[in-house]
Amino acid sequence: MKKLIVCLLALLMVVSVFAGCTGDTPAAPSSSSTDTTNSGSNSGSSNSGKSNSGSATKANDDGLIRVWVGEESASFYQKACDEYVASHPEFGYKIEVKGMDTGSVAGTITNDPTAAADIYTVAHDNIGKLAATQCAKPITDQALVDQVLADNPESFQKVIYSNLNDVKYLYGVPYISQALVLYYNKAYVTEEQAKSFEGLQEAAKAVGAKAITVTGDDGFNMSFALLASNAADHSTTVKIYEGADPVAGGSKGESFCQGDDTIAIYRWLQSFAADPNGFKWASSDGWEADFNKDNLGVMAVIGGAWHFNSAKAAVGETNLGIALIPTFTLTAEACEGLAGVKAGDVYRGGTFADCKCFMINANSAATKYAKEQELIMYLSSKEVQNQSYLECMNVPAYVGAATFIKQCFDEGKVTEGQYNLAAMQVSMAEWGIPQPFLTGTLNTYYYSKNAPAVLRAIVDKTAYPTTGDIILQETESLAGIRKALYMVEYLWMHGVNPKEFPANLPDKA
Amino acid sequence: MSNILQPKKVKSQSRNRRISLGVTYAILGVMSIIWLIPLIWIVLSAFRCEYQPDGTFIGTVTSNFFPRQFGLENFTKLFSGTYYGVDNAFLKWMLNTLIIAVIDCLISTFLVLSVAYCMSKLKFRLRKPFMNMAMIIGLFPGFMSMIAIYFLLKSIGLTGNPQHPEYSVIGLVLAYSAGAGLGFQIAKGFFDVIPNALVESAKLDGCTNFKIFRRIILPLAKPIIIYQALMSFTGPWMDFIFAKVIIGADNARFWTVSVGLYSMLFGTHPDTNLFTQFAAGCVIVAIPIVTLFMFLQKYYVEGVTAGAVKG
Amino acid sequence: MGSKAKKGPNKVANFFSPIGKFFWNLRRMFLGGSAGTKLSYLIFGAGNFYHKRYIKGAIFLLLQVGILLFMILCPSVNGTPYGYKALLNLGLGNLEEGGQFNPATGEFSTGSDCKLMILFGFVTIAAIVIYFIIWYKNIQSSYKADMDKKIGKKPTTIIEDLQALLDQKFHITMLTPTCIAALVFTVLPTIFMIALAFTTYNSQDMNNLGTNLFHWNGIENFKAVFTGEGSLGVEIKNRFLPVLSWTFIWAIFATLSCYFGGIILALLINKKGLKGKKIFRTVFIMTIAIPQFISLLAVRNLLGQYGPFNAMLMNLGWTSQPIGFLGLNTSDSEILAKVMVIIVNMWVGIPYTMLMTSGILMNIPADLYEAARVDGASTTKMFFKITLPYVIFITTPYLISSFVGNINSFNTIYLLTGGGPTHVGYQAGGTDLLVTWLYKVTIDQGSYNTGAVIGIFTFLITATITLITYRRSKAYNEEDTFQ
Repeated sequence: MKKLIVCLLALLMVVSVFAGCTGDTPAAPSSSSTDTTNSGSNSGSSNSGKSNSGSATKANDDGLIRVWVGEESASFYQKACDEYVASHPEFGYKIEVKGMDTGSVAGTITNDPTAAADIYTVAHDNIGKLAATQCAKPITDQALVDQVLADNPESFQKVIYSNLNDVKYLYGVPYISQALVLYYNKAYVTEEQAKSFEGLQEAAKAVGAKAITVTGDDGFNMSFALLASNAADHSTTVKIYEGADPVAGGSKGESFCQGDDTIAIYRWLQSFAADPNGFKWASSDGWEADFNKDNLGVMAVIGGAWHFNSAKAAVGETNLGIALIPTFTLTAEACEGLAGVKAGDVYRGGTFADCKCFMINANSAATKYAKEQELIMYLSSKEVQNQSYLECMNVPAYVGAATFIKQCFDEGKVTEGQYNLAAMQVSMAEWGIPQPFLTGTLNTYYYSKNAPAVLRAIVDKTAYPTTGDIILQETESLAGIRKALYMVEYLWMHGVNPKEFPANLPDKA
Repeated sequence: MSNILQPKKVKSQSRNRRISLGVTYAILGVMSIIWLIPLIWIVLSAFRCEYQPDGTFIGTVTSNFFPRQFGLENFTKLFSGTYYGVDNAFLKWMLNTLIIAVIDCLISTFLVLSVAYCMSKLKFRLRKPFMNMAMIIGLFPGFMSMIAIYFLLKSIGLTGNPQHPEYSVIGLVLAYSAGAGLGFQIAKGFFDVIPNALVESAKLDGCTNFKIFRRIILPLAKPIIIYQALMSFTGPWMDFIFAKVIIGADNARFWTVSVGLYSMLFGTHPDTNLFTQFAAGCVIVAIPIVTLFMFLQKYYVEGVTAGAVKG
Repeated sequence: MGSKAKKGPNKVANFFSPIGKFFWNLRRMFLGGSAGTKLSYLIFGAGNFYHKRYIKGAIFLLLQVGILLFMILCPSVNGTPYGYKALLNLGLGNLEEGGQFNPATGEFSTGSDCKLMILFGFVTIAAIVIYFIIWYKNIQSSYKADMDKKIGKKPTTIIEDLQALLDQKFHITMLTPTCIAALVFTVLPTIFMIALAFTTYNSQDMNNLGTNLFHWNGIENFKAVFTGEGSLGVEIKNRFLPVLSWTFIWAIFATLSCYFGGIILALLINKKGLKGKKIFRTVFIMTIAIPQFISLLAVRNLLGQYGPFNAMLMNLGWTSQPIGFLGLNTSDSEILAKVMVIIVNMWVGIPYTMLMTSGILMNIPADLYEAARVDGASTTKMFFKITLPYVIFITTPYLISSFVGNINSFNTIYLLTGGGPTHVGYQAGGTDLLVTWLYKVTIDQGSYNTGAVIGIFTFLITATITLITYRRSKAYNEEDTFQ
């Protein structure tokens, strides 16, 4: 071994000429050209007396504001920005818009925030994480804050704030709203059938297919069951971080997931999933394949607006029906032994109603700050949101967008399918809640802490072998479901599996 | 008696041989079909042009092996398409990949040859330790170091550089070719076979090591040079992980073609109807590489064999 | 040289002797050298200036100044410095949390970047090591000139030195580019990743804590394999053994199936009297030539739930439901997925072995067969008694390297099954190998510490196999005699 080392060192001797250079280069040329690197003397003086590196953002202002938006709307926003710069000569910055993969953009940003754009767009549930890991900068411009407060529904306003230095700040500016809807195959399913899971089941039985699937097995898509609420009065006992106050340092507020209605819903879903013409988990081959008119795997699929084109391609535009997520009626077996529900109660599938938001990169130069907010104010204005609806089918986030959507349809500016898609999302938002992710902590607790996996175990009636501490042996009986739901609730609250199940599970319902 | 038996035996032998040849043909034929089916299917998918009754284009995987309708629409869409906000993205990706592949090919081949020559024909201290070290480093899973390479490149502005996104291409070439020298084993195996006597006699004639390398070794090493060049040239066309990290997810303009094609299938798009376009892209990428392989088959086989025997 | 090191009792002495020699040389050169040499101990190149070799001296001096400036000025990238500060930062103490925000100006402090601190710390250590090597070489160079002078020879000029680089020291010229490149882009990154195994660098944990900072935490991550603690602890504890054993099963089956399949195919293709050899070979080479992400994704879709293959099976009435061959759905059979990846891997791997063994088969001395034929051996017997032993004997090194290659076979698994069928609640699915698991854990999950632990285990396994077999192989031991 020692020879290996000696060898390496000896050879490095000649290397050193170059090594010396590589070491030095970042210092010398960078100060003149790049904004990602600070010159040595710069950081030396600012950190005198400290051994560590922590430094304020001193990224150089390069006269360019970079914006990341979803892949589908890149050209539109580039055009909008160009127009803005042209009509506002005093703006003084060039704007470069790039299209990003919406699914992975948050990960790209957290991996290396210094390389991310000055302004980026993410779904609001990423706000907590991005704020907590210092990837995002609060928004303070009063005019912009006022516009956000005036334009957006209260439900959105709750989830675009996060705390920093014990102050509550606005972080995200909503500009697109998104909710899950139901896509169904009109060739086999009538409009009436599409209104309920039972109807879909009936249609599926006729052709030997499954009734419904989701576009992915994750907690987001499966929210249709978790967030289902009583069709008569919109009520549900599920609470995800309700009352959580991010300003109080990430208090988790109250969570609740063991209500009789939740148990009954999951019991219903258990039998629906076991039915040969019932629920089908997302196929990794792609739900499009399931939905495809030739394959006839499923009659309907629960998905987001971004699945519209694929759904269209799968069954053809004329065959594609869009509807609210259907209702289902609780059966006697599902309600057995539960006081809070009775057979015949009708529930409607729920959704996480999201918004996509503009955010400012924490690493962006401070000198750009005012202009960035000015630009966001323009890009999130009702006019631009409306335009982006017409050109990219982005459903506007502001209150009252429904009127505009209807108007466009009446004027023949959009097709019926496009109109339905937007209208259903707007209506669906009434049946949903925005993913209530207030801080980075709560955010990851919901998604990556396996609560969706536990819920899946209930539906599949399988054991959930989690930690060494406790093992969920069975998830079929009433007690088993209770335990599982207790576990979900505990995961939401604490981010870890419970060490043991309470001997007598409290029944708060 | 033996005279009578002789022709009969020959006859039965030849019949046996014919039967066994026939069986061989059959087995090889079946195997060839199995080996070709996926490739044929991709080509067929590339030329598939099926529509829903209402005119919607079907770009997903379908269950019919043979397309019901043929056409070039996938290719026209691919070449004129805008992906990730980049116009004519596919052409740009092809060009990027070509540039990267050519430069990588030059640098890597040079590095491999020089190291292999040293290890095989020069005697110096630390030769064996160097070889061991190269082997040990080669055993670490490659993408373990991917993140570190990204940050090293970034610290010298060769990736994640908003002013000069095109520098990422240089960064990727560096990342590809930097480690190439450590993969000298196959070339060394080749050089080992060149008789030392050649080198010794040249030395007696007063040749410097440099001259020996240039005048004697290099001309003899043509097969291995071609093998190495082929390997390093095709590398960038095949890698879909490293390139995306080094060039950057936002830098779609400077992606390589494999990153682009891979993202078509696995990114979250507004349109997941891209399988046939992906297939068309695959055909375009595969044609030059397969052609190269076919032309240089001999050298490829030589390299593979050298590698096998020497390990 | 190598054999001496192997003799047991001297091992320790052998290890320390170069170090002793090094210091002894330093002392000798200082005492015996000229004033210039003595001054070289402080100022690089002084000895060369003393001997009027200005260019060489200037190069040494420039190097010294360059590295010293680098060490003192601490150029920084994204606020993380190189130089002496990087060394201090390596301890990850005294970190700055960041998040200080001035609403009026928009200034935002982003805090310490721990991963850059570690990375730059290692770069700086490399620079220091290089500094001392140059230091030693500078003294040596000066001392050599002293000695040359003493015996009345003229010290070498810069031209002569350069010429030496093309002759006696040609290996330095040839190896330098590789060494620089490998050091910067392979060795340093690898060391960096190994170091991460001893930290708390785990994006999930850090998100939960709402911080960008991580710390050293000793061997906690390795302990997690047994205790299951930490955010991915449960995963690594419960899934490590299944993944490890599958990795071995996979590697054994994949290697042997491709190996013997390849030999048989080569025999078939090279059969005497067979026409169209070239065509058949070309067909099989096609699969090698086509990028794997194309051919494997084609196979994946072909075998998919609604792909043509399942459609065919259903049309033939062999199955009523599409079969999940590749474990893409959680409910699919794990055994079937495992069998399928091995089979599809044969499709990928057999042509390689075929190509390789074709050449070897043709080189089997014909007289071996002649002798056997005279003895009346049957074709099968000849195959087992002559062909197979001969081929195996020659290709043993390949067998080993392909075994190691299969342990690290990322593409086949990642592109075909993505590691599926997944086990609900875990990253590692039924067909995940250590490498694909490592990829999921680091790239998808951002758990760099757990990933590094998996990577180190993978390395230990492959390294053990390689070292044991390589050390014993003829190629290694008889390398010198062979030449």
